[in-house]
Amino acid sequence: MKLFVIAIIFILSFSSQATEDQIIFKSEQQKSTYIEVIAELRCPKCQNQNIADSNAVVAKDMRVKVKALLDEGKNKQQVIDYMINRYGQFAHYQPPFNFATSSLWLLPIGFILFAVFVQINRSKSESEPHGNTSELDDELAQLLVNPLDAEEQGVDNILNEDDTIDKKDKR
Amino acid sequence: MTKKVNLRFLPLALFVLLLAFLLKGLFSDPNERDSALIGKPFPQFELPDLNSDTQIHTEKTLLNEPLLINVWGTWCITCKYELPYLAKLAKEYDVKIVGLYYDQNHAPEFGQYADIPAIRIEVKDMLARLGNPYQYNILDLDRSLSLNLGVTGAPETFIVDGDGIVRMHHMGDVNERVWREKLAPVWNEISQ
Repeated sequence: MKLFVIAIIFILSFSSQATEDQIIFKSEQQKSTYIEVIAELRCPKCQNQNIADSNAVVAKDMRVKVKALLDEGKNKQQVIDYMINRYGQFAHYQPPFNFATSSLWLLPIGFILFAVFVQINRSKSESEPHGNTSELDDELAQLLVNPLDAEEQGVDNILNEDDTIDKKDKR
Repeated sequence: MTKKVNLRFLPLALFVLLLAFLLKGLFSDPNERDSALIGKPFPQFELPDLNSDTQIHTEKTLLNEPLLINVWGTWCITCKYELPYLAKLAKEYDVKIVGLYYDQNHAPEFGQYADIPAIRIEVKDMLARLGNPYQYNILDLDRSLSLNLGVTGAPETFIVDGDGIVRMHHMGDVNERVWREKLAPVWNEISQ
């Protein structure tokens, strides 16, 4: 019984393949070109499939035509151009570099350059000494030289600084 | 200080741009794209009339006056909705319409053959019911002319001028709005 079921499955799977995929190629070379081309051509009816994947009538027709053109001795580029002449650039999955597509290539490069620029700028400003630190260093030096005198001044400075910080926050 | 503020809003600005781009994509029709054939001569062909094997049409049959070439089939549901409007165009606006009959089943490579007498009966029946806009119908059984025209399915409509140059390729049905906004301007230009 098990054997019988397996046999049935085998027979069914073979028969469904047979009607569609009986393409006789002249050579291995032609076969690989054919597979490349139908993977690269886009089905004009079903937007996001190539003609290899699609079962639309137009995709079938295009596959048959691709085979016929290859039989005529056309090369890969000639076959693709043939389809582009009829279905437009839309039918090819590898768009050429032109004004309309340039942003696709240039934008990511622009982003990377921008990120590098920002990163360099940031690390520059971090390595530069802050104005405040040197002020504090001066205070510290004064404190060390003349602790009593400097203390009053230091408090004043700190008060002033607090003021500016408050103003900043309000802004 | 101002530079910092600018940078802080940069991601938001980019996000808004992205949003605008995606929103536009949401409302754009993927079938709206330029046909490769506009401005080029109608492809050469030699095909029989739908109703007679002996009557042969070529691209020269189409010359001398502006035409609407309508790709259709009885299997195509949208075509059924389009037919009455096309019939109205033919009758009221005197638009010359030629049918290009697009059959789905014929595929000799895979051992499938169309039943032409059955197609003729279906066509006759359907045109009698919904109106007949066609001067005549060209039978493109193996869809070779359709492939040369860049047809992706049915219905599709071409405007061809008197010199046999393709002026317009519309994918989808022709209705009042499409005619008024898209096809009529071109049609009026070439039929003056």
